[in-house]
Amino acid sequence: MQSKLSDIELIEQTLAGNQSAYADLVKRHQRFVFTLAMRFAKGREDAEEIAQDCFIKAYRSLASFQGQSKFSTWLYSIVYTTAMTFLRKKRVATDSIDDENTFIQVESRESGYDTNNIENKSRSFYLNQAIAQLLPDDATIITLFYKGEQSLEEIAQALGMETNTVKVKLFRARQRLKEKLEHNLKQEVKELI
Amino acid sequence: MNTIEEKLWNYIDGTCSPAEQDAIARLIEQDGAYAQKYQELLALNQEFAAIELDEPPMAFTYKVMKAIRTENAMQPLKANIDKRIILGIAIFFVFTILALLTFTFANIHISGINISAADIKLPAGVKLPSTNSIFSGPLVKWFLIFDVVLALFLTDAYLRRKKTAKQL
Repeated sequence: MQSKLSDIELIEQTLAGNQSAYADLVKRHQRFVFTLAMRFAKGREDAEEIAQDCFIKAYRSLASFQGQSKFSTWLYSIVYTTAMTFLRKKRVATDSIDDENTFIQVESRESGYDTNNIENKSRSFYLNQAIAQLLPDDATIITLFYKGEQSLEEIAQALGMETNTVKVKLFRARQRLKEKLEHNLKQEVKELI
Repeated sequence: MNTIEEKLWNYIDGTCSPAEQDAIARLIEQDGAYAQKYQELLALNQEFAAIELDEPPMAFTYKVMKAIRTENAMQPLKANIDKRIILGIAIFFVFTILALLTFTFANIHISGINISAADIKLPAGVKLPSTNSIFSGPLVKWFLIFDVVLALFLTDAYLRRKKTAKQL
């Protein structure tokens, strides 16, 4: 069961030495942090490593959190920098949307699904599949905007970009996502026929 | 120049000015192409909002907290020492030194201008060690060599720490 205390209250308790308060913070944000990490990593193991690293870094620097922004915005900025460092270290190929190999990657990520059975697939599966084919930056912006309850200004703060840049990137990311979604659905229809 | 799609996205997100919002609302009402595109983007927006978040492994929180506890346990002793204790020790030494200096100066009797003739009276039974043997040539040299080596070692350790912090 998750704590009803606010993020700030949990941070105060953590700083006072209550580690279980930080565990509550982790539980509250872990799904989103893990999803963001998945946008950068190739597999669940790497994403887990990134997400874990983020929470440890956040714990270390918790005292420096000023409370001027939302805790989630501050945490997402840590996720972004950690993921970028991870990518640089692991030299993970950031697949272009035109890269044919992307499809292989997506299938392996969603190996739990039967990719040939369209009847079993929900629309959200195709959406997640299309997101996985986007560049990490595009996928991150889309995720932060739609699921992170972050405004354009907060996304800009988390990613260290100008608000207008984020606005333009969001527009382009949506276009690419739409194209990918349409492309994937067409492919499935072709396979069925 | 904004495209129709860009304008409509701004309208859906509510990021355009009130004047622009009114203008786009009118266009949607009057222009069939705008209305169709608007409905299409609105449906897409709802679909994007339904993205599902990935679920981390069951033991994720446990692993994070375990890593934090391990890190805390591995912290060097100097990081765990209460700073107030260090401050207390420092204050004790400062007061002791000040008391010693006060005592020493209180026992110095300066006669006339000749400082070298100062008559320092130590308490009965206290004898100052002979400094001539301590500051002999080889000892001072070894002391200086040790200082140089220690300074190099500490500088190296400091630069390494700085480099590691930058990489992180």
